[in-house]
Amino acid sequence: MSSNPDAAVEVRDVTHTYGSGSAAVTALGPVDLRVPPGAFLVIVGASGCGKTTLLRLIAGFERPTAGTVTAAGRPPVPGRNAGLVFQQPRLLPWKTVGGNVGLALRYAGVSRPERSRRVAALLDRVGLPHVAHRRTWQLSGGQQQRVAIARALAVDNPLLLLDEPFAALDALTRERLQEDLRQVSAESSRTCVFVTHSVDEAVFLGSRVIVLTRRPGRVALDLDVDLPRTGVEPDELRGSPEYAALRATIGHAVRAAAA
Amino acid sequence: MTVVSAVQTVAADNGAAPPTRPPRAQRHAGWWRRVALRVVSLVALLALWQLLAVLTDNPTFIPSPGAVWDRLVQTSTTHDGVRGYSGHLLVEHLGVSLRRILIGSVVGVAAGLVLGLVMGTVAWVRVATEPVVTFVRALPPLAYFSLFIIWFGIDETPKLWLLSIAALPPVAVATASAVKAAPATLVEAARALGGGRWAVTRDVVLPHALPEIFTGIRLAVGIAYSSVVAAETINGVPGIGGMVRDAQRYSQTDVVVLGLFAIGLSGLLIDALLRTAEDRLVPWRGRS
Repeated sequence: MSSNPDAAVEVRDVTHTYGSGSAAVTALGPVDLRVPPGAFLVIVGASGCGKTTLLRLIAGFERPTAGTVTAAGRPPVPGRNAGLVFQQPRLLPWKTVGGNVGLALRYAGVSRPERSRRVAALLDRVGLPHVAHRRTWQLSGGQQQRVAIARALAVDNPLLLLDEPFAALDALTRERLQEDLRQVSAESSRTCVFVTHSVDEAVFLGSRVIVLTRRPGRVALDLDVDLPRTGVEPDELRGSPEYAALRATIGHAVRAAAA
Repeated sequence: MTVVSAVQTVAADNGAAPPTRPPRAQRHAGWWRRVALRVVSLVALLALWQLLAVLTDNPTFIPSPGAVWDRLVQTSTTHDGVRGYSGHLLVEHLGVSLRRILIGSVVGVAAGLVLGLVMGTVAWVRVATEPVVTFVRALPPLAYFSLFIIWFGIDETPKLWLLSIAALPPVAVATASAVKAAPATLVEAARALGGGRWAVTRDVVLPHALPEIFTGIRLAVGIAYSSVVAAETINGVPGIGGMVRDAQRYSQTDVVVLGLFAIGLSGLLIDALLRTAEDRLVPWRGRS
């Protein structure tokens, strides 16, 4: 069995079980999945369907109970090949905003002056100029999540993994961040894997959407989204009939899978 | 300063963290009221003390505030050819004791930090050392002082050993529990950014543990403080404990009381310094 180095992520016949014996719970699988480079894959499903487990397997935080997971042809190692954004910002409160964003650069051995230059550019890119010296708790929840995204983008990993990053934010902030993430991902050639329970978010962000069944999670629907990625206003996109059709299809699949 | 007072102030710190501060004028009023209250209580205590001294009319039993004040002046100057008390000024006695406390605390805190860090990260070390640390913590320092006298004689060495050993367990226990409780979410975040074991310890585990370590340090210094008088019961002059001990032997109650004040007030000062340092070094305390 050889893994395909052309795939950004390859999940082969993966099953994942937590616990052992009579307390064992199979959270996921079997799942087969191949994500080509540059794709924006969104995983949708109800709570407890194993979507976070799948993301953690791809990040390398968990090893599959059965089957193989590879990223660019190799078993994933945390911090090696993927930037990760969690549901909570998980910023280190003892570091300044800039210190948080520069952490990955520091671990990668980037020199201090180069680091502060790149931190400023990264914060600029997520729409937060001039906050590098601020304390993390002086920022709002949405701003903190932007910082978390900048932190995950700092090192040029081929993969960006996001686990319901906007779930804890208010609707307005969420939409703004979705638009910005769509922009950022369109500008870079990174492969994104995005986990959410929101059908709207899936249609808006994904170039491909998969729906997982409830536990143990399996792929119930695998759909390519053919909406334009650039050169279109977010509101125009959200109002288009194609968007509405996709939203209906995926929404139906999510409800069916959760039943 | 006592251990209890350190615990109480720490508890108060944790409890009071209002999200928004009241307006400046109100804060000012609160500050003045607190100062006024303290001055009033101090005056009341002094008055009570004076009253008791007059009623008992026995300076060996309860010396009056005035007598203690005279002692302060006398032990701080050369009087009738006698320098201070037992040939040393009060500040010299205090200075020697503070030096012992400082060295003992630094050694004990440093060793406690290292031990606690290892205990918190390596499971088998924790299993092996936890009972020993708890055992030592339960012992009154005076109990093992005799052993140090036998091993190291009666000079500085046994005193510094005593204070170091007394200061070690609270720091070790606080550090170990705080390190063990490092939040998995932040550890994971740092690992996801490419942080190795040492980087995660330096950037997540230790900073997260810092507030608790500080609590441990304040406890340790408090214990070193209360142990120094015990350590100076043998060959303790110069030293504030030695001074008190000698004064007790000659029934110079006013000197005993003066010594208590010197220890208590310097303890308050040191604790305030430690708290200021903590506020400076741990600005994220109470934030998430």
